[in-house]
Amino acid sequence: MTGSFMELLFGPSLTRVVFFPILAAAVITLLPSGRKAWIRGIALAAGVIELALSIQLVVAGMADGIFQLLRDGDPAGGAIEWIPRFGIGYDLRMDGLSMPLVVLTAFLLPVVVLASWRGIENHWKGYATSLLLLTTGILGALLAHDLFLFYVFWEVMLIPMYLIIGIWGGERRIYAAIKFFLFTMAGSLFMLLGIVWLAARHAGLSGVWSFDYDDLLRLDLPLEQQLWLFAVFALAFAIKVPLVPFHTWLPDAHVQAPTGGSVILAGVLLKLGTYGLLRFALPLFPHAAREAQPVLVTLAVIGILYGALVAWRQEDMKSLVAYSSVAHLGFVVLGLMAFDLIAWQGALMQMVNHGLATGALFLLVGMLYERRHTKLFAEFGGLAKVMPWFAFFLVFSSLASVGLPGLNGFVGEFLILTGSFRGGLILATALAAFGVVLAAVYLFKMLHETLWGPITREENRQLADLSLREIVTLAPIAVLMLALGLAPQLFLKPVAPAIETAHRAFVERLEQGPATAASLRMPPDTIALSEKGD
Amino acid sequence: MPADLYSIPAADLIGLYPELILAGAGVVILLVDAFLGDRRLLTTIFALAAVGAAAFYGGSTAMGASFGGLLETTALSVAIRWVVLLCLGMALLGSHGFLRRERLPSGEYHALLLWAAAGALLMARTSELITLFLGLELLSICLYALAAYHRRLPVATESGIKYFLNGAFISCFVLLGIALVYGETGTTRLSAVAEAGSEPGSPMLLIGLLLLICGFAFKMSVAPFHAWAPDVYQGAASPFVAFLSVAPKAASAVVLVRITELTLVAGLDGWDDVISVLAVLSMIVGNFLALSQRDIKRMLAYSGVAHMGYLLVPLVGLGEGTREALFVYLLAYALMNAGAFVAIGRLYAEPGDQHLISDLAGWGYRFPLLGVGLTVCLISLGGIPPTLGFVGKYLVFLHAIQSGHPMLAVAIVLTSLLGVYYYLRVVYTLYMMPEVRQPSDGGEAARSLDWGAGAAVVIGALGSVFLGLWPTGVLQWFARALGTGL
Repeated sequence: MTGSFMELLFGPSLTRVVFFPILAAAVITLLPSGRKAWIRGIALAAGVIELALSIQLVVAGMADGIFQLLRDGDPAGGAIEWIPRFGIGYDLRMDGLSMPLVVLTAFLLPVVVLASWRGIENHWKGYATSLLLLTTGILGALLAHDLFLFYVFWEVMLIPMYLIIGIWGGERRIYAAIKFFLFTMAGSLFMLLGIVWLAARHAGLSGVWSFDYDDLLRLDLPLEQQLWLFAVFALAFAIKVPLVPFHTWLPDAHVQAPTGGSVILAGVLLKLGTYGLLRFALPLFPHAAREAQPVLVTLAVIGILYGALVAWRQEDMKSLVAYSSVAHLGFVVLGLMAFDLIAWQGALMQMVNHGLATGALFLLVGMLYERRHTKLFAEFGGLAKVMPWFAFFLVFSSLASVGLPGLNGFVGEFLILTGSFRGGLILATALAAFGVVLAAVYLFKMLHETLWGPITREENRQLADLSLREIVTLAPIAVLMLALGLAPQLFLKPVAPAIETAHRAFVERLEQGPATAASLRMPPDTIALSEKGD
Repeated sequence: MPADLYSIPAADLIGLYPELILAGAGVVILLVDAFLGDRRLLTTIFALAAVGAAAFYGGSTAMGASFGGLLETTALSVAIRWVVLLCLGMALLGSHGFLRRERLPSGEYHALLLWAAAGALLMARTSELITLFLGLELLSICLYALAAYHRRLPVATESGIKYFLNGAFISCFVLLGIALVYGETGTTRLSAVAEAGSEPGSPMLLIGLLLLICGFAFKMSVAPFHAWAPDVYQGAASPFVAFLSVAPKAASAVVLVRITELTLVAGLDGWDDVISVLAVLSMIVGNFLALSQRDIKRMLAYSGVAHMGYLLVPLVGLGEGTREALFVYLLAYALMNAGAFVAIGRLYAEPGDQHLISDLAGWGYRFPLLGVGLTVCLISLGGIPPTLGFVGKYLVFLHAIQSGHPMLAVAIVLTSLLGVYYYLRVVYTLYMMPEVRQPSDGGEAARSLDWGAGAAVVIGALGSVFLGLWPTGVLQWFARALGTGL
């Protein structure tokens, strides 16, 4: 196994994209910890190279403007053996569902390093190492095609994020870090139980051990088994998203985390919850998902409204943005649970949109915090006069987040609402549309209290506007938000076939109805390899 | 059959090399100590060489019965020998600097430690009750003495006395159990006991076996036989606890497998229930009590109780995966637990009765290597990938699900969540709290490298991560051993 792994690591492959950050982290650990400038520089360079590597793969995978399946495995077909005793393979695949999130992750890495340039003062070595390890965990979880491998990467994300919140966070950082860790761990341990049970079931039926996604997809389980399995998977993902009753860790983690940590957390970590629903929970247990639809849709709508209302009443800029995440991800879950093709497209797009817009908002809050060491609305007002660049980016990102036509947020929300209406969730769609109004209310409240009006505090008169470094950090995000808003086809066309095949397979299985006793469905190729396109 | 004992075949003796080498090396160390005085470095290197030799000659051990059936080498007992030798080696490495700092004589210490290991190896290989008792006592008596080894320290004496009184008491149970089993079946060989086929419904065999279990549950610190562990761990020297907290548990686990096999053959009902109750009780008691500990050694003692709860799960519904799960779990436990205790021995350089977690605040930056090593060991103890601790927990999970006891898996999930909390507490104290304590020697200890402890911690941490990423080698080796031996 090690031989072919090494070949992949040094060739143009998904493996290289996943493990390059670890190699960079290894270089950084060898440097003396006093060399802050070197460490920052190497981390930034690693981020840029990582982005280039991921773009190279996307370009390599494009054909006729459509993204094809890329995979790392044995050239002969099948996965590289990792733990053959249990049929656990090392198998990475990038298709239209994971590609946008992979690029988003790689894109945010250099942005986060730049954003942390000043804000992180101590232990840069540990910070850069944690950030790079975290990136490896995220990318691995997005690309893993073997459920065991997925679980390992899923857990690998936890420790670096725990350290980032706990070491470089705010006053109540330890509480927030522990809460983040325990919430996520509680969900994922039950998911492990589900994964192991699935594999054992597959071994019992076929006589062969396998954790391979395609193999497990062939399991046809009776409804009552699907229900508890869906419950454990959905719990793990709902905590990560977070859906409403499980969301309480999020505001704590966001408010306490350093800016870079918040950006990664909001930008990609939360998306792993919705990605997990789309990739694993829905296709593996379609009938249970249909049974659970009312519950999850209700929770999503509650999240949209409740998150928006709570965001409205926040006195701290960062907690406002944090609660807005609860609302925005409610939209994504609503789109996924509508089981409608358009809604799924919108949900996938909204994952990226939210990563960009909320990432930018967290960056801006962080920049303001570095200048004034406070995030309270009461301390600000009239900043547009002293910080025009800052005001421009804040308005721009807020409008993208609200869903102004012409910016990216509009496309995603529109697709989700259209799709969920078409999917028959009429009441939920109406309530969610009201959530869009509420989003405008709280974001304009933020703009109003920070940017407009007279300058209320003397110390705000001397605030410096954004530096060149900060503008360089924000500009690419703004350009992307505009580009995706004006030409959504840039995003939708490459990923469309992957979503269509996933959706078709899902609907077909729903129509077949659940099995009465556990069995293996025979013709796997139509579903398993369908993402290659015909 | 006794006639066989007077003419021992050479092959049997060769099979006994590992135990003989360890015991002989202990004697040599004592003689060197007597004639040449206390030669610390020489003693440590010699003891390590003995461990290496025992590991090397262990490879030639033939599987199956020897000494007329007194010993029976199985794949599991060979595998557990590696576990015992591993934690012995780590304890020896960690002890070198400790004994030097504390100005304690090294001769007896090393001799006792090697003999204890010989006893543990013997326990793991015997299938005859009297030999088993001999191995158990050889192990135990050495451990009693070692627990009290820091003789200037009252808390160490207390630790030794507590361990001795409890251990001697529980030995009576084991002896009574042996007597009952013998009385019922007329034999002390476990294979013969099973076949002797006691009269169905006769409770004597079951009571005898239950009494035996008490003894080994005590050695493994399984609840409700765990109360000694925190007190003894707290008072005893930390590098020695690296051995104490692993080797007796590993050896006892092998014995439990043999006894469980026997109950299956003899058709005793209810055995699975007994083990399940012990397992769940240990998980709950261990994790909940560890949660409230302020002393890191007591915390790890209770967490050890919880780990033994997880370890008992593969014994419920004995099956093909049982031995694999036990071996991998114990290997992981040896790496992570011994690594953690050696790191603790180094971080609390002045021994006393307190090892407050809060004293470690901010020390992750003062001792980078030990801090990272301890953190990795704790992550592995928490069962978080990519470490061997996770692989072990996965195998236990798998066994619980496959053997049809999913509720045991759920119990593991719920209780190990508590575990994550208290292990993380140490990590955040190391890295996220401001320093409250200066090293008593003004940082001297931080500058003078303790190579032995450093090496042991690195072995524990790197081993946990490397084998966690690539468990295939271990699994394949064990599968081959199972294939050739049984």
